[in-house]
Amino acid sequence: MLTVPYTTGYLTEHFADDAFTTLAGYRARGGYEAAKKAVTEMAPADVIALVKDSGLQGRGGAGFSTGLKWSFMPTEGDAPKYLVCNADESEPGSFKDRILLERGAHQMLEGILIAAWATGADATFVYVRGEYAFPAEQLSRAVAEAYEAGLLGENIFGKGFEHDVIVHRGAGAYICGEETGLLESLEGKKGQPRKKPPFPAQFGAFGMPTTVNNVETFSHVPHIVRNGAEWFKGIGTEKSPGNTVFGVSGHVVRPGLYELPLGTPLDEIVFEHAQGVPDGRKVKGVIPGGMSMPILPAGMLDVPMANEHLRERKTMLGTGGIMVMDERTCMVRTACVITYFFRDESCGQCTQCREGTGWLNKIVERIERGAGSESDLDLLLDVCGKMEAKTICAFADAAAWPVQGLLRHFREDFEEHVRQKKCPFPESFEL
Amino acid sequence: MVISQEARAAIDGEIARYPRKRGALLPALHVVQNELGHLSPEATREVAEIFELEPVEVMEVISFYNMFHAKPGGRHHVYVCTNLPCSLRGARDLLRSLEAHLGIEAGETTSDGRITLGHEECLGACGYAPMLRVGETYHEDLDETRAKEILDALE
Amino acid sequence: MAKITVDGVEYEAKEGRTILQALDDLGVLMNGVDVPHYCWHPKLSIDGSCRLCQVEIEGVPKLQIACNTPIKDGMEIRTQTAQVKEAREGVMELLLVNHPLDCPICDQAGECKLQDYAFEYGVEHARTREPRRAAKKNVDFGPTIIFDQERCILCRRCVRFCREVPGTGEIGVFGRGDHSTIETFPGMELDNAYSMNVADICPVGALTTKDFRFKIRVWFLEDVPGVCTGCAKGCNVWLGTANNKVYRYVPRRNDAVNETWICDSGRMSYRHIGSADRHDRAMVRGELGVLEVVSLDAAVDAAAARLRALVEAKGPGVIGAIASGHGTNEDLEAFVRLLDGLGVEARGLATIQGDSDELLVQAEKAANGEGARRLGFGDASAVIDRLKGGGLEALVVMGHDLLHAQHMGPGALEALGRLDTLIVLDTHHSALERVAHVVIPSRHAAEKAGHLTNHEGIVQAVSPAVEPVGDALAEATAFDRIAAALGPAGGPG
Repeated sequence: MLTVPYTTGYLTEHFADDAFTTLAGYRARGGYEAAKKAVTEMAPADVIALVKDSGLQGRGGAGFSTGLKWSFMPTEGDAPKYLVCNADESEPGSFKDRILLERGAHQMLEGILIAAWATGADATFVYVRGEYAFPAEQLSRAVAEAYEAGLLGENIFGKGFEHDVIVHRGAGAYICGEETGLLESLEGKKGQPRKKPPFPAQFGAFGMPTTVNNVETFSHVPHIVRNGAEWFKGIGTEKSPGNTVFGVSGHVVRPGLYELPLGTPLDEIVFEHAQGVPDGRKVKGVIPGGMSMPILPAGMLDVPMANEHLRERKTMLGTGGIMVMDERTCMVRTACVITYFFRDESCGQCTQCREGTGWLNKIVERIERGAGSESDLDLLLDVCGKMEAKTICAFADAAAWPVQGLLRHFREDFEEHVRQKKCPFPESFEL
Repeated sequence: MVISQEARAAIDGEIARYPRKRGALLPALHVVQNELGHLSPEATREVAEIFELEPVEVMEVISFYNMFHAKPGGRHHVYVCTNLPCSLRGARDLLRSLEAHLGIEAGETTSDGRITLGHEECLGACGYAPMLRVGETYHEDLDETRAKEILDALE
Repeated sequence: MAKITVDGVEYEAKEGRTILQALDDLGVLMNGVDVPHYCWHPKLSIDGSCRLCQVEIEGVPKLQIACNTPIKDGMEIRTQTAQVKEAREGVMELLLVNHPLDCPICDQAGECKLQDYAFEYGVEHARTREPRRAAKKNVDFGPTIIFDQERCILCRRCVRFCREVPGTGEIGVFGRGDHSTIETFPGMELDNAYSMNVADICPVGALTTKDFRFKIRVWFLEDVPGVCTGCAKGCNVWLGTANNKVYRYVPRRNDAVNETWICDSGRMSYRHIGSADRHDRAMVRGELGVLEVVSLDAAVDAAAARLRALVEAKGPGVIGAIASGHGTNEDLEAFVRLLDGLGVEARGLATIQGDSDELLVQAEKAANGEGARRLGFGDASAVIDRLKGGGLEALVVMGHDLLHAQHMGPGALEALGRLDTLIVLDTHHSALERVAHVVIPSRHAAEKAGHLTNHEGIVQAVSPAVEPVGDALAEATAFDRIAAALGPAGGPG
């Protein structure tokens, strides 16, 4: 079951304390002091500047500068403005937002409050994936407490500042984690991403200016306001400051959550914190940032977990979902699982994505069954190339990258499968 | 009318929370499905009427999302996650053992109407694999024995 | 206005229009500037999902879809670069991964945008070895349309059309990804007054009409431009013609009249052209009181003789004339000449009024009522009253709308039967024959050249698409011949 992170930091250090999930317990640890400071002592523009200066990057996978995103919200006009908290966490390998909701709902709400003050937003919709019933319940409880204490609703901190939080549950579709797919789903439609332009800051939820941020992103904000930008920049790396909550899964002794500074080396996380591969086996490959991110082979795990370093190895931080595969693992079967996922979750709008994800899956499954040929490997890469950079949203790219990564580092697995007309790894997980 | 007064009141409550009526559609479909077990064409029509939409528009939405069922199923919907981290830790073997245990294949319902078994993509429990969900409840860190116990306890 | 450059050529276009809209406004889209597309349609909302219309824009790193990119002054657009061609190839190849090899049995072959663009912009060899998605075929979507889910490329034009044009929204896209399908709500049908337009806008053979199914291969058809004669709208059509037969109407774009649409009823009115109840021979009621088939000359002479006799005996005041809205302006002008020459003043127009809608359908169920009115044919009630009151001895009638309850209704044949002379010029058989003395077969608008004036006063041309049925004459010709037969002055006096 979901447990508090094995290594904690400013985000999760109090998560083991049940009282922390209550308003009283949260306040006892200094909760909502940062929000009060922001609302009563700082101008909205100064809050934005602070967050920008801190270098906080979005923790939902894209890594965009949070302060910069907030600055896109219009400052003039009477139209209502909205924040949206993306709690749709569905990236395979990621389960950090779940605990941030279950054990740190008030922390996230405080971040939302500060963001609302900074951007002038009237309300926040928290879009929780439909399957996260318990986290949504915890969040709703925290929201109710906040309203009762006057921390939400009208005249917050006596400054005439109004803000509402609406907890909205999804119904099971990965693509609703995509910013504009989420907005469509929030509005009661299919979660099919929108063409851009227009961008959410101009035309977002219900047609109003909107900023979308991830659960974890909001959760960092109170700490930045409390401790300052310099403090934040002192953690992590120069380009990627702060902590993040890594999720480690797969063939490790201690799968689970680990709050660590960005820039912590991947091999340290896997072999020290998660205590390495069980049963004396060797690692074969690690997906570092959720399933959309290209895999790294055993020899390339000495990389700091931060985008500027991961990019050099043709992968990315994503959502920090670290999936470890040991030497038994057949990478063709891994490809089957991955391509099936993307085929199933494509919203179906764009030709390249709809047909491409289907074709990739069909080819990979045929190779796995033993009916593949050598030319199929370059065909896979060619289809990936046809999918990239040509669609309404980045889902097609996210579907292509893992296949490219697997062929880049584990082409021999595929070639062996083709040659032997069956899986060359008898001990691999079954499909 | 298949949707009860209580459900309609709950739906009205949801509608009040959104700046536009249609924002409450997904919550409303959850309410109706919780009450009726699935979203039949009749229920879909009634929801469409409440939201002033064409029935086909509501059915589009139902068909898009994994959690909405347009067809009746068992009293309990059991889904085993078979995505990568779970598969690495034996989720697919687990699913097969449950299929054998229940005498049905994934996608089917037991003849006594008790359980619909299926598989799903990542449910956000990767560190506690393999796992399954029964409706809204997660059961994690499973082995075959424990999983069967959980299913057997469902009435 | 903004100046844009497309493949090195400068154009002026309206700011705010998208690239595809601008090219369409200029009349160069797929007509000088190649930007193939599926989901975009000039009269529907922008979709942006087919991804085929991607073009290169100077200064923009990624390809952009032309359908959703607003033009800006100075924009440089390139449609023929290697990158663009590669992207198009990608879309075409991916669409063909699941598309069934139905061409030999598909009605769309020959006018299929998938065939055309695969040939023009696609890859030479299909590389897919995978089984194609199996889905429903021959789905009875409703009274007029058959749907093939396997052929569908999910451009969603049909869904947008039903929501945006007739506003009936009967269809939607169910599911996700490559298991998306277009469906109706269980138990409901695609059934609206404009349903058959979805077959036109469907780029492939996924939506086809029941009416045209398996009738003829489109490459045998010659498309003749014409006008629908079902109502006063005058929707522009292409008459699909072969073997001296019109096989179908397909709407012809005219932004001033019908945009790109036509109502189902008008579209189906092509059936009137070759229908079994066409008049094909002239007839004269013989001494035995029975209508006998005669030559046109004989009918013309008979008509002229009867009119001359009446005018000589009682003057032109006992003759009445009823025009129809089914003739061309030329037909009606000849009628006017004949009547003027005779001195006949009792003239009227009989057309039938029916339902109308906010889109195209006009209440007046004739294409040229306005033309007739502008030529002086007013309301028919005065003529009809005189007829019923016994003040007329002869009537020259175009068409048989006169019989309708809105004009004469029950008792019409009785009143008409008392006439000394009833001359009928008509395309189709009707009860008028029971009491007519001379019947001259008329040509349908598809069988002659001429002009029709629609309800807004727009004058549109028709031209012959097929040979006339039997001896059918344009009314203009018939009236001129009768006038000639009446004598050099067209009449006594």
